[in-house]
Amino acid sequence: MTPAAPSEDSALEKETASENVDVSASANPDDEAITQASSDPATGNSPPSDSAGLKGWWKVFASTYVTIFLAEIGDKTQVTTLLMSAESHKPWMVFAGAGTALVCTSLLGVLLGRWLATRLKPRTLELGAGVTLLIITIGLGWDIFQGF
Amino acid sequence: MDWSLIGLSFAAVFLSELGDKSQVAAIALGGSSKYPKAVFFGTAAALLTASLIGVLIGEGTATLFPPQAVKSVAALGFLFMGLRLLLLGDGESDSTETTD
Repeated sequence: MTPAAPSEDSALEKETASENVDVSASANPDDEAITQASSDPATGNSPPSDSAGLKGWWKVFASTYVTIFLAEIGDKTQVTTLLMSAESHKPWMVFAGAGTALVCTSLLGVLLGRWLATRLKPRTLELGAGVTLLIITIGLGWDIFQGF
Repeated sequence: MDWSLIGLSFAAVFLSELGDKSQVAAIALGGSSKYPKAVFFGTAAALLTASLIGVLIGEGTATLFPPQAVKSVAALGFLFMGLRLLLLGDGESDSTETTD
């Protein structure tokens, strides 16, 4: 009976040791989750969970937002909504219709892009996208030139 | 609710935006980016903000945002994104991003 006692003790020690490991292991992911949650305001979107992916997500969002916003300020769609709200004196109704249309056209654009991504080789797609963006640049440059 | 006005503004804006530069940019960026949802939310939010500003400020928009300057910055943005795609491929991949 005497050898059983020490083996029980060591088993107990092992158990407590593994508990300690469990605690320390579960503490780290919690911390990570907290820092991620603080850097990600609740938007209802589903950005990637790892922090590098999250950073990339927000970088793409911010660069797209800023560029498109600046390109659209003073553009014909904005002028259309401006004139329609001035004529009708119901700016929120005009905004409701215009806003829905803008969300639809953006969604159609991104979906068409995804469809092309399934059809084309990644490098072909990147080259096509790069050239397309340069054509938009030239178009904007032409607008600027004509404004002088 | 003035449904005919909503419908009219929807149709006018939808038709004028089809094939316009923002939608073309959304096709190009959405197809080539790792984060197409980010492209969609970015594009939609930008268009909504721009049209909200148009509705709220009206004629004052041009004085608040001088068109030449704003378009120049936008052109530089598109130039940068286009060149990055042509030269580096997917510029958003983590391996190519060392500085931040």
